[in-house]
Amino acid sequence: MSPTVAANAIAKQAEQLKQDGNFCFTKNRFGAAIDAYTEAIALCPNVPIYWTNRALCHRKRNDWTRVEEDCKRAIQLDHNSVKAHYMLGLALLQRKEYAEGVKELEKAMDLGRGANPHGYMIEEIWQELAKAKYLQWEHESTKRSWELQNLKEACEGALEEKHLRDSVEVEGFLDETTEAYSEQLEALGRVFRKAAEGDTPAEVPDYLCCKITLDIFRDPVITPSGVTYERAEILEHLQKVGKFDPITREPLYPSQLVPNLAIKEAVRAFLDQHGWAYKTD
Amino acid sequence: MTSPSPSSRKSLSKIACNRLQKELVEWELNPPAGFKHKVTDNLQRWVIEVNGAPGTLYAGETYQLQVDFPEHYPMEAPQVIFIPPAPLHPHIYSNGHICLDILYDSWSPAMTVSSICISILSMLSSSPAKQRPADNDRYVKNCRNGRSPKETRWWFHDDKV
Repeated sequence: MSPTVAANAIAKQAEQLKQDGNFCFTKNRFGAAIDAYTEAIALCPNVPIYWTNRALCHRKRNDWTRVEEDCKRAIQLDHNSVKAHYMLGLALLQRKEYAEGVKELEKAMDLGRGANPHGYMIEEIWQELAKAKYLQWEHESTKRSWELQNLKEACEGALEEKHLRDSVEVEGFLDETTEAYSEQLEALGRVFRKAAEGDTPAEVPDYLCCKITLDIFRDPVITPSGVTYERAEILEHLQKVGKFDPITREPLYPSQLVPNLAIKEAVRAFLDQHGWAYKTD
Repeated sequence: MTSPSPSSRKSLSKIACNRLQKELVEWELNPPAGFKHKVTDNLQRWVIEVNGAPGTLYAGETYQLQVDFPEHYPMEAPQVIFIPPAPLHPHIYSNGHICLDILYDSWSPAMTVSSICISILSMLSSSPAKQRPADNDRYVKNCRNGRSPKETRWWFHDDKV
């Protein structure tokens, strides 16, 4: 047997093992699936799918350390593996490595959108990403509001002390100092309310929301009429309802949709400042 | 009653649910003039009170709209009918069905409950006479088996009223 023929036979055997693994996976027999993928990897260690499939089994068993290991190997073999970046992101989030985990999920989403903008993966990745970002915001904003609260109390204390001192010194002008004191307290309240605004949940501005979903944009595209929509929704509209712009009713075809990068940037900037808007209920 | 019971309909998709919640919040902040949403815990069926606009044939009269949302709202139009007694109008049948293009062929997912309400009120306000459509009896008889107005093949031959 020539070397190529032998290599082909090995590759074929590994493929068969993968099929066996996939079958076990669909039957929820994750241990058996892991064994099959492990054998396939032993035969052909350079096929990224064997690694990501095994990682998926580890994920089902909540074995996140192994998920991380397998995904890292898969990424070494294929930088553009959506699944590897996605599961690596989840594993990092499990370890509370928020920043790194979020980065991996974002990478997975960018890659996934390019490959298949309507895939179920995109929605799933977005949900996980939003959840992680929201948790991150919750964590940081709690810390920020705690710091602000402490600072506010210290400032109020200092003002009160000064007021008591002043009222002893300038007897006779008591009304004026009391008035000035209460004005200062009020101004202080305003300053601290202002400082907390970014962390106070409110409405997302209309210009950052799709007119179909009424929700903040994820992947905005603009039509020749100049209206911006969420990509998945406008594509569904063109397919199901009709070939027209939902607002202007001008004729519209999928090929005319162009990414609206400016709105995408604006959404990103808004979310950076207002993490509460990641809430997905 | 002409509408199917809620239990026979498919429940709202996640996208539909999300969007209706947002519409509800917006409605509460900024309701269309002349309308009152009767709050219930049923997101899929809204009952809305309509007050005839002052200075029109329907001034001082109150009617009720029933809005039922399909699973894939807003990619599909909601079913909108008047709960009888329906206003006397050349485009409104006595069973409450409304002949209005945006509710059927001309639906667009960028429309909202609020914008539908405004269209219906403007249809009422521009009416020249309080009368039923010419084919009212025939149409209502055809709908006896509980057919939805969305299954009717409407002819929108008159866009002046």
